[in-house]
Amino acid sequence: MAVAETAPRAAAGQSFERASFTGSASEYFGIWIVNVLLTIITVGIYSAWAKVRRKRYFYGNTVILGRAFEYHATGKQIFIGRLIVIAFLIVINVGTAIFPPIGIITPIVILIALPWLIKRSLRFNARVTSYRNVRFDFVGTAGGAFVAILLGSLVAFISLGILAPLASRWTWRYIFNNLRYGDRPFSSDPALGRLYRVWLLPALIVFLGSLIFGFIAFVVIVGSATFMSESANLTDTQLTVLSIAGIYAGVFSYFILYGLAGLFYRAGVRNVAWSAAMLDGRHQLVSDLSRPRYAWIAISNVIVTVFTLGLMRPWAAVRLARYVNEHSGIRINGDPGEILSSIEASGAAISAEYMDMEGFDFGF
Amino acid sequence: MASESSAIATGEWHPANSSRAVPAVLREEGVLLVAVEEGRTLASAVPERIEISPRVGSIPRRVRFPDGSVFETRDNDGVDGYLRVRRGPRSGLLHRLEKFHPRLILMTLAVILLATTIYRFAVPVLVEVAVLVTPPFVPDLIGSGTLASLDRTILKPSDLPEGERQAISEGFSKLAAQSKGGQGAYRLNFRDGGVIGPNAFALPDGSLILTDDLVKLANGDREMILGVLGHEIAHVEGEHSLRQLYRAAGVAALVMLIAGDVGSGVEDILTQGGALLALSYSRAAEAEADRRSVELMRAAGYDPVALARFFAVLEDKLGDHRDASILSSHPGTPQRQQDIRNYAAQSGSRLQAR
Repeated sequence: MAVAETAPRAAAGQSFERASFTGSASEYFGIWIVNVLLTIITVGIYSAWAKVRRKRYFYGNTVILGRAFEYHATGKQIFIGRLIVIAFLIVINVGTAIFPPIGIITPIVILIALPWLIKRSLRFNARVTSYRNVRFDFVGTAGGAFVAILLGSLVAFISLGILAPLASRWTWRYIFNNLRYGDRPFSSDPALGRLYRVWLLPALIVFLGSLIFGFIAFVVIVGSATFMSESANLTDTQLTVLSIAGIYAGVFSYFILYGLAGLFYRAGVRNVAWSAAMLDGRHQLVSDLSRPRYAWIAISNVIVTVFTLGLMRPWAAVRLARYVNEHSGIRINGDPGEILSSIEASGAAISAEYMDMEGFDFGF
Repeated sequence: MASESSAIATGEWHPANSSRAVPAVLREEGVLLVAVEEGRTLASAVPERIEISPRVGSIPRRVRFPDGSVFETRDNDGVDGYLRVRRGPRSGLLHRLEKFHPRLILMTLAVILLATTIYRFAVPVLVEVAVLVTPPFVPDLIGSGTLASLDRTILKPSDLPEGERQAISEGFSKLAAQSKGGQGAYRLNFRDGGVIGPNAFALPDGSLILTDDLVKLANGDREMILGVLGHEIAHVEGEHSLRQLYRAAGVAALVMLIAGDVGSGVEDILTQGGALLALSYSRAAEAEADRRSVELMRAAGYDPVALARFFAVLEDKLGDHRDASILSSHPGTPQRQQDIRNYAAQSGSRLQAR
């Protein structure tokens, strides 16, 4: 895996460019609140068009080398995709009422179709994205999605997260090695050793956190038990109430621990996978998120969003986008102007663009 | 825009499918819209065949010519000015609504009002529809799955003497026979509850679980146990847990649909917190189950207010004198006892009057 260790190249002929986010919370608030209002008034129908406006805003404000990305999906495309999903659900429900075994077969069929749906969704999202008038494309197969995403999740789950870096490696390799920008391929081979290095801290958070919470729980239970056996009219039931409160506290702290570890892990893996990725075999992508900072932004975003009943969500979304963009970049090997002017769109992405529809939207 | 040739905006022009960019100006020349580079025409077409992307915030605008080439500009106002003249004052309405303006306060208030209305009125209707169209195997799956996982984790086999179990089961059968589903719709399971202590609960498929601790708490008062079981039968009859599940899922789905993108953190809270919430019943469901217990007990020939005795014992032993508990949406036990007695008296006198 030493191949993926990028040897420091000569600085000459190289330029490092960071992305930026040019949108603002106040501007996005207007777009968001109109989206929400129109979605409610149209009984949800507008949500497809709302999604397009939201995506166009975020893509259009993601700028690198002076140019913005673009999102090309239309509200109609997304609406038709959603109609198909709803029609499918209705058919299944009616079918099951008439012939019950359908209800048992359906989940199995969906599971089998899932890799194909994931592939379609990734391809759709790549093909509706462009930069400098050239679209992205995704050429991954359903078989690849099965291994990289379903099998990977299973392996990570069964091994209690110990093999999560392996799963992450499969996923990111699947995504980058099948991604194209016009006629140029992306490639990535994140080293397992580096992935384990960013896995260590989140693993410690979960492990030590569980120990500490477990110890606190133990002290509280034992302490209250002795306290109560001293006080005269102790009852089993009082203990029960305490242990139920304990279960709630346990579940809560479990969410906190896994949430925190998940944020650290996500940012760390993104750094490793992006920094191992190349465009056209020579231009290196870079991601240098600070993990505590990323986790802080994500957590405080959630808190602010919840406490303002969602009204600060636009601010939170812009804040995270700005941070992530400013810590993503590309090291161009050669003259950026020349290189970025020479890319042509390739056939498949052009011909298929209007026939495609969005599958389920998986947030990668 | 009266002149023969007027500039609309400056920007860059891309040949079809190419990332090559040429500085260019978009002009209106007679009936044509053209992209020009220092007097050289790069692309031109009649406006009807040209696609101009709608404005969103201040992101770059795309003007796509029929030959596939694209003129891109950040001069949104220039393009808007042209469009207003050509397509009338209504063009770009959406963007003008979205602009940061005091009007947004009104919109925010409208959203809050509408969201509250949906929560109060639309969600309950949606839940009823969902319950109606749920195929019967769904509650069965949820029920058997939940019991199996509870058996693996918290519950242990019951230690009660066989005779005691027999006696409770017989009473339970009489009670279940009075319910809508009849005796066959319910199964009573005895378990050692472990940490969950004195408790009884119902799963949506009609499985009822009664813990040994509750039987011990009753201290020989079997009618009291039956009163609790009547309450649990009512939860199954009313499909309360299915309703609660749908309510939690429906609220999460609606929030995600309406807000569009709530962020992955809030999404997790909605889905997982919703699942936790789905485990408890609403206050209204509890009150309904209390009243139904009174009816079932009376119909089976038992003391209708036996359930109130159970709450009295709880109050006594747990020191639960609160009017409403914090952890759950249960009304406080003193209030519930009173409600049960009132309901029994009312419905009893109504029966006698008949």
